[in-house]
Amino acid sequence: MSVVEPIPGAELQPEFARVAARRVLVFSPTIRYRLGPGDRALVAPGDAVVPGMPIAERTPDAELVGVGRLIRPENGKSGKNDQRPARAANDSSQLWKNDMADRAGSSGKDRPPMAIKPVAEGRDRRRPPAPGKWWVGGDERRGKPAKGKPAVRIGGTLLFEARGQWRAAAGERHEIVESPVAGVVREARNCVEVTIDVSGAALPGAVAAGVPSRGYLDVPRLTDGELWVSALDVARSGAVVVAGSRITAQAISRARAVSIRGLVAGSVGEGELRDLHASELRQRASLAPSVPFGLIALDGHQRRPIATPILALLAALAGREVAIVTDPPLLVFDVADVPLPDLPPDWIRARSGPHAGREGRWLKSAGLYRFRGGIYLEAAVVRFVDEIETTTVPVADLERFVF
Amino acid sequence: MLIGLLTRVGMTDPEMLTELRAGNQTDMPKLVASWPRLEARSTPRRQIAVVAGSRRQRKRLETAALRAGWLVVGGSADEDDAVALSRLLMSTETSAVLLGADVSPGGDEKRHLPDLASLVAAATQSRPELAIVLAGGAAAYESVFAAQDDARPSVETATPATPIAPANRTMPVAGAGIDPVDPTEKGTAQAKKVSKKAGAAEAAATPNGASFAGASGDANATDSRASGTIAATNASPTVAEPAVPQGPSILLAIHATEAHEASSHVLLAPDAEAGQPAGSSLQQVLEGLRAFPNDSRLGVARSIGSLAYLFDRSVEVVEVGLQGGLSARSEPFGQGHLAVVSSHACFADASFAPVNPSEEVIDGVLAWSTMVMDRHRVMDRLNDLRLAPWGEAAGDGAIFRLAAAKAACARLVEATPELAAQSMPELLIAAGGVFSALPPSVVALALADIVRRPGVSQLSVDSARVLGPLGVIEGEAERRRLLASLADDILVPLGGLILPAGIKQGRSAGFLRLKGSAPVSEVELHPGAVQVVDLPPGRGARAEIDFRDAVRLGQRGRHFSVDVGGGLSGLLVDLRDIPMRISDRPDSRRAALDAWQRGMWPDVDQ
Repeated sequence: MSVVEPIPGAELQPEFARVAARRVLVFSPTIRYRLGPGDRALVAPGDAVVPGMPIAERTPDAELVGVGRLIRPENGKSGKNDQRPARAANDSSQLWKNDMADRAGSSGKDRPPMAIKPVAEGRDRRRPPAPGKWWVGGDERRGKPAKGKPAVRIGGTLLFEARGQWRAAAGERHEIVESPVAGVVREARNCVEVTIDVSGAALPGAVAAGVPSRGYLDVPRLTDGELWVSALDVARSGAVVVAGSRITAQAISRARAVSIRGLVAGSVGEGELRDLHASELRQRASLAPSVPFGLIALDGHQRRPIATPILALLAALAGREVAIVTDPPLLVFDVADVPLPDLPPDWIRARSGPHAGREGRWLKSAGLYRFRGGIYLEAAVVRFVDEIETTTVPVADLERFVF
Repeated sequence: MLIGLLTRVGMTDPEMLTELRAGNQTDMPKLVASWPRLEARSTPRRQIAVVAGSRRQRKRLETAALRAGWLVVGGSADEDDAVALSRLLMSTETSAVLLGADVSPGGDEKRHLPDLASLVAAATQSRPELAIVLAGGAAAYESVFAAQDDARPSVETATPATPIAPANRTMPVAGAGIDPVDPTEKGTAQAKKVSKKAGAAEAAATPNGASFAGASGDANATDSRASGTIAATNASPTVAEPAVPQGPSILLAIHATEAHEASSHVLLAPDAEAGQPAGSSLQQVLEGLRAFPNDSRLGVARSIGSLAYLFDRSVEVVEVGLQGGLSARSEPFGQGHLAVVSSHACFADASFAPVNPSEEVIDGVLAWSTMVMDRHRVMDRLNDLRLAPWGEAAGDGAIFRLAAAKAACARLVEATPELAAQSMPELLIAAGGVFSALPPSVVALALADIVRRPGVSQLSVDSARVLGPLGVIEGEAERRRLLASLADDILVPLGGLILPAGIKQGRSAGFLRLKGSAPVSEVELHPGAVQVVDLPPGRGARAEIDFRDAVRLGQRGRHFSVDVGGGLSGLLVDLRDIPMRISDRPDSRRAALDAWQRGMWPDVDQ
């Protein structure tokens, strides 16, 4: 991820500079979509993408299929499964070119319905077979289908060639992956990944789950730092909702049921993440299309409220289009001028320990300090908000904000 | 930080600061910049995909890869189809692939090997950054990779692939073995370079090829070519010491490819049974592939070897960190104790906060925890500990960290049965940041809880955490010299440990008399207890122990007289069972652990 400016640690007091800096905004981050066998990229490096543009095609139920023998002198005249007449040419790449042209259907009527023409499809078709190359085949390649049964078309990517026969990871069902962000494709490799340099700024999170999604940012009023589950109603359909300190399993279920696109919270438990993952697997298996849903926890897994500078930033962005990205965990917004909250330079927040989530001001370093249990740690004296007394906190439990 | 440190030195001892400014350098930043630097770093976790023809072979290969510190995902052709295996290879988290077979592959794996080789070779076309290791009989399929390279179409990617190691850097492998000063190790290993174009192995090592050298750091392989196939044929150990796990200490120089090179790296390695103990040869190769040249974890293992020579004692270390853990042992042997036998194993799973903790990890933490927690809570805390490893080091967080560290140590000990089968080391060291933040008495108890072998030992902790960086020094003589002058400062003595086995239940197990410069003190020993006898750091004493029944303490007997050393927690006499027997019921187990812990950590609630 790129940054606008180096972390200004040099100007700070040496002791305060040793507090962990938390960068609130990153600019032009690189995000990644992981692909697997049977998946292909629909974009090429250097392509500009906009939100909603197809960038990849997944094959969720990819299975191993035999593609057929290449016609090579060492393989005999034709393959076992190949019903076509043998060709006399000995240039395998030329054969494959013809072969692929046949398979795609020269008239166009046999063209697979699932195929969205990728940018480089024409070029791709002329390439000799190679691992990762897109392949389309099906029943009609092996003679007439049985009466009353529709011809099954499958598509996927070539995996490897063994003893002159290519194997592919292919399936009937395909899903289009749309980009939730605008940017430029950095890398696109079938079966491996698509990476995009995002244009815009992003708020980094600690944990992300679900799938990348996009919607307008909704920052409802939080009661005691929490959002009641009943507030997640159908009126918020299509929104990315800021849900307060913690996301519960009920909130996730309800949000998905009313087509909310995502949740942003301070923390999410591992149990909830597992529930969400299991729910996603069930949904995928049911063949029912679902709207993309993602969630981001800004701090981690244990309960703590969203930091006030970040909450102020989110409130300022309310109503704008944002995107949840899961790899890495980011809340992306395509805004050139981000309204930044004013913070005192000595503003700190406890990120862990018994005071986790509390904010206040750094007073001074306490040096090596004896804590409970006879544990000696480097400490600082801070004054938390709404407190008169000062508190001594381990420096490792604190964080400061850097924009 | 150095400037701040020097400023403090100047305030407390101006003369020392003047001495440090040897060249009349008055500008502090310039002075600091002029000092020589030793850089050590932890290798980030890396994942290897293990592929084999049979489940049996996959298990063996996985064991070697796990001991080399890799995160391992695996599959075998008899269990998984090509799509599932391809998913492992195509994952962007996977940075290397290990395809292995027996030297003479059996029928169960032989029939799958051609397809597997084709599958892996095809994966390198999509992911040229993958490092490929062909182990044992799989090396016969090296020509498949050479052919793939020849037939590779133009690469479509816009950006260069991430290399597994920095370009043009040599990656030394310091594995289990005899200390490099041992003259017997010379010529125990061979390497050969295979020309990719020719697709056939050349028999002899070439001057430009990878070379093995002694661990003194003179690995001078200077292969300027960007890619190649390197055969790491590890010869068997030359020292016959069946009880001691060992293999020649070897530096294997592997030249990584240029970052912009689209060629894959193919490394030929021994099979999963080669070496003594079985698999150690492959472990060495995989370790060299994984670790940075200045990896601090492997540096700890090297420092232990140097300490064993300096102290002329057997030394063992249990190191637990965020990216993994290390268990290492070194002991002098031979005439005049001029050589040192060393062995070690790194485990990514031995991190105190592993990535995606499994149910077994959660069970382990719960088993050592003295706090009541449910499984989800443990998982959340472990995940947060990974996000902020230095956070929550006091209060309840310290108790949780202790449980996580003990669970990691237990996994480490369980994964190294060859070390557990040896005698108690004379010096046992705990290393890692998680231990340096805990009170010394608690660390001493944790070591006694985890390393349960009958014997007498001195416990220490590497509180300054410099064993790793010092181990990065390549010259063995220089490292020894530095350790000799620093050992007293960097190793904080926790205390002596007397750990007898075979104590029978009853009111009294016997008596211990401590004879030293102080007046003789006599202590009654109680079965099932951990008793502490005052013995300050730097003081030694002779402990005479009269047991009621015969026990094992090195050897079987009733009367023992042993030399013990003092420490911050005194002398620990651990009269609990070996192996430790605690109730399986969570409440009873917690109560027992809490009782022992409170004895050593009385101010845990204060």
